[in-house]
Amino acid sequence: MDISAAKQFMKRLIDKSTSYGFEEAECCFMQDYSMSVDILNQEVSSYENSNEQGISFRGKVKGQMGYASTTSFEDRAIDFLLKEAYENCLVLDDEDEEFVYCDDNDKELFHDQTTPSFSKNTCASFSVVGLSLEKALKDIDPRVTAVDYLSISCGTGPVIVMNSKGLSSYKDSDYISIFAEARATSEGVVKTAGNYWFGNDVDLFDEKKFVDVLGKKLLGKFGASSIKSGTYDIILGNEAFISLLSTFFGSFSSFNMQKGLSLLADKEGTVIASEALTLSEEPMLDKALLKIPFDSEGVRTKSKNIINKGKFETALYNTKTARKANRQSTGNGFRSSYASSVGILTTNIVIKPDSLDLEGLCKEVNNGIYITDLNGLHAGVNAISGDFSLQSEGYLIKDGLLVRPIEQITVADNFFEILKKIRVVGNDVINYPVDMGEFFSPSIVIDSVSVSGDE
Amino acid sequence: MLSDNDIKRIIEAGLDKKADYVEVYIEEHNARSVSLLNSKVIRSGSVFDSGIGIRLMSGVNTVYVYSNDFSIESLIRLASDAADSLKDSNSSVDFKLSNSVRTEPFIVVKDPLLVAKSTQVDFLREASDYALGYNPLITQVSSSLVSEDRLSRIINSKGINKEEMQSRVRLTFSTIATQGNEKQTGRVSPGWQQGYEVIENYPLKEKAKSCCDQAIRMVSAGYAPSGMMPVILCNGFGGVIFHEACGHALEATSVGIGNSCFKDKIGHQIASSCVSARDNARIKGEWGSYYTDDEGNDSSDLLLIENGICRNYLVDELGSRRMGMPVTGCSRRQDYSYAPTSRMSNTYIEAGNEKPGDIISDTEYGLYCADMGGGSVDTSTGEFNFAVNEAYIIRDGKICEPVRGATLIGKGQEVLMNIDRVADDLELAAGVCGSLSGGVPVTVGQPTIRVSKILVGGRK
Repeated sequence: MDISAAKQFMKRLIDKSTSYGFEEAECCFMQDYSMSVDILNQEVSSYENSNEQGISFRGKVKGQMGYASTTSFEDRAIDFLLKEAYENCLVLDDEDEEFVYCDDNDKELFHDQTTPSFSKNTCASFSVVGLSLEKALKDIDPRVTAVDYLSISCGTGPVIVMNSKGLSSYKDSDYISIFAEARATSEGVVKTAGNYWFGNDVDLFDEKKFVDVLGKKLLGKFGASSIKSGTYDIILGNEAFISLLSTFFGSFSSFNMQKGLSLLADKEGTVIASEALTLSEEPMLDKALLKIPFDSEGVRTKSKNIINKGKFETALYNTKTARKANRQSTGNGFRSSYASSVGILTTNIVIKPDSLDLEGLCKEVNNGIYITDLNGLHAGVNAISGDFSLQSEGYLIKDGLLVRPIEQITVADNFFEILKKIRVVGNDVINYPVDMGEFFSPSIVIDSVSVSGDE
Repeated sequence: MLSDNDIKRIIEAGLDKKADYVEVYIEEHNARSVSLLNSKVIRSGSVFDSGIGIRLMSGVNTVYVYSNDFSIESLIRLASDAADSLKDSNSSVDFKLSNSVRTEPFIVVKDPLLVAKSTQVDFLREASDYALGYNPLITQVSSSLVSEDRLSRIINSKGINKEEMQSRVRLTFSTIATQGNEKQTGRVSPGWQQGYEVIENYPLKEKAKSCCDQAIRMVSAGYAPSGMMPVILCNGFGGVIFHEACGHALEATSVGIGNSCFKDKIGHQIASSCVSARDNARIKGEWGSYYTDDEGNDSSDLLLIENGICRNYLVDELGSRRMGMPVTGCSRRQDYSYAPTSRMSNTYIEAGNEKPGDIISDTEYGLYCADMGGGSVDTSTGEFNFAVNEAYIIRDGKICEPVRGATLIGKGQEVLMNIDRVADDLELAAGVCGSLSGGVPVTVGQPTIRVSKILVGGRK
């Protein structure tokens, strides 16, 4: 479906909503073109190509907002959406009012971040990159026996939001991602490790850097054993810290705070973390792959400190939670897909780096553990209380040096306590996509963490 | 929607080029949901999705394209372009479209999609009100009911032409107990491939009480201990340990490319001799059941492990081509946007002969896991992790104080060999399994079992 046809469909949908008795109405159209190429044993094992589109409607009746969605764009879909959303309104009794938003100065929002280089993304070009990468990974070392997963994918597609208050917003962007997981075997011991790359120009992919990082991760695991249970000072590696932080980031959502699902409720303006920690949201960050000028409700996004030298300055709000808190939305009202309701999601989150590199952090810790991977984050955490106990891997630090790899341990602590126990923040920043944007973080040093092992 | 002739043209467009196998998957999906928070209805939604996925193969070389644009010319172009990117199979396939066969694993009495939302809300609200008034420590009660119909049609160049209607309902009820800064959850989330009648007969108020009791017990519990110890895993969702630590490593997805710790193990001992396990997709009304898999093959009741000996892998079409083994009817996908692959359905350790009470009383010290959370596994190394939602210390053969925050880690190969007691109280529990072909409904299950040693990660 082309954009003008989609807009016409949306206009008809909103126009007809009044005849169903809706006081306010909004619809969101999303289209997604994606492609991926998988490589296995020097062949293209799988190629995927897709074109999907969907639309959702939300409308208000007597103060309640009903939702419905479909992938159909036949005329009868308009009546399906309006009838279902209306019936959904009738059973709702939400005490917090949801509404559609439009700033008179920002009615027509437009942001096209698609790149000319996207046209280079073809099955043939991805195959060349993938085949070369697989070979380079297998050539790292004779112990590398297989590359079990290697996928190169890309996606693009417009998002349009229109509402009965006159909002008409449009945005589009594109991305490329490369994931690979390699397996190495030595004397019957099997180890696996992965790496990833994100960008929007496949010609900027640095194969050598990718291979070096993966090789170091993979081969560094041989010789690992467990350690004695106890309390250790740890370096939480940049990747591991991003995965932990993103798992618990819902605690900074005003929705969770208002519903009693976050221990940070009523903590805005107070110290919740070590002075070493400054955490900001930078929606238009230069180095970010995606710049996000406005959210799914048509609210302009803005840069802000969420934690400034340990002080919790602001939670994240959409229009609904902001109205309840009698304040302005922070521009964090996003839909994760066309069918989802407007929730609270992040754009680009940045942990302010300090001066020490990994070597310096090891010296800082002197004796302790460097955690490179945390596994089981989808299950081994209590997202509300902040408690976690996670299978982990890493290295033992002795006299300021990494001395041997560690496996079969768990790291257990509490996220909110961890924030207070941050001693130092490093400078080895990496980025990883989360929600609508990316998280940027260096490794951090945390004092006194419980570690279980069976040595 | 597409006619038989349209589908035939799509398949022929692929076969005319380089493919030796073309499969068309068409799906229509209707869903309704309602969610309550503290007895207030905060969300009520409706979805209608449809789409088509076309898979072409040449040997083990695969192309998958999908769309929800059903215009026939664009689909033929999609199939033809997809075939161009395949390696030439140099084979000629004699394709004839056969008559369609329809299967329905469970005939619903009361279609949940036709039950008034207000009726569903009343059902959830009664239990929510009860839980909110149960104890002052209970500060949050949330519940939801999701109903869906999924009509799948699978037509392929082998002559398969089948469609299956699956109707599922899933109920989720959870409570949060708060004490100071500590918050703990009690939760049930049963699911069925049945009609609304199963909801009407479900004792939700009784389960709401259990959720409250669980949250209250855990909110005042101390931290779990750390270290190697005997662990007794409850029946039902305790089976997630088998699902993760063993089931995934028996799927052709990993065995077929050699990255499973159980590759080349058919006929070999991979578990303690007291362990037998199955993947049975044909249990009537179960959440993970289906009669026709997403490649159009009949599903099966597959013996995976017999008295510790590995008997079968879960094999799909691509796995069959890689491994030279017949398909087992286990190919599944979340929806049309995923190519299907080998997946589990209702997977469980079979009942033994012992009584759960005897296993507990014979354990001097260890951990009793009464409710498990999720987990994950690296199928190459067998390393797994599981969260424990509700646990107790076993001391002198008795279940003693509750402990929280435990995680179990280990290697699947070792844990399976370390199962030393199996009780007779087999139970199944619903879940959603995420893997290469998306999230699919599965049940996990087991009787009460004891593992002689697992590393428990706690904070003490």
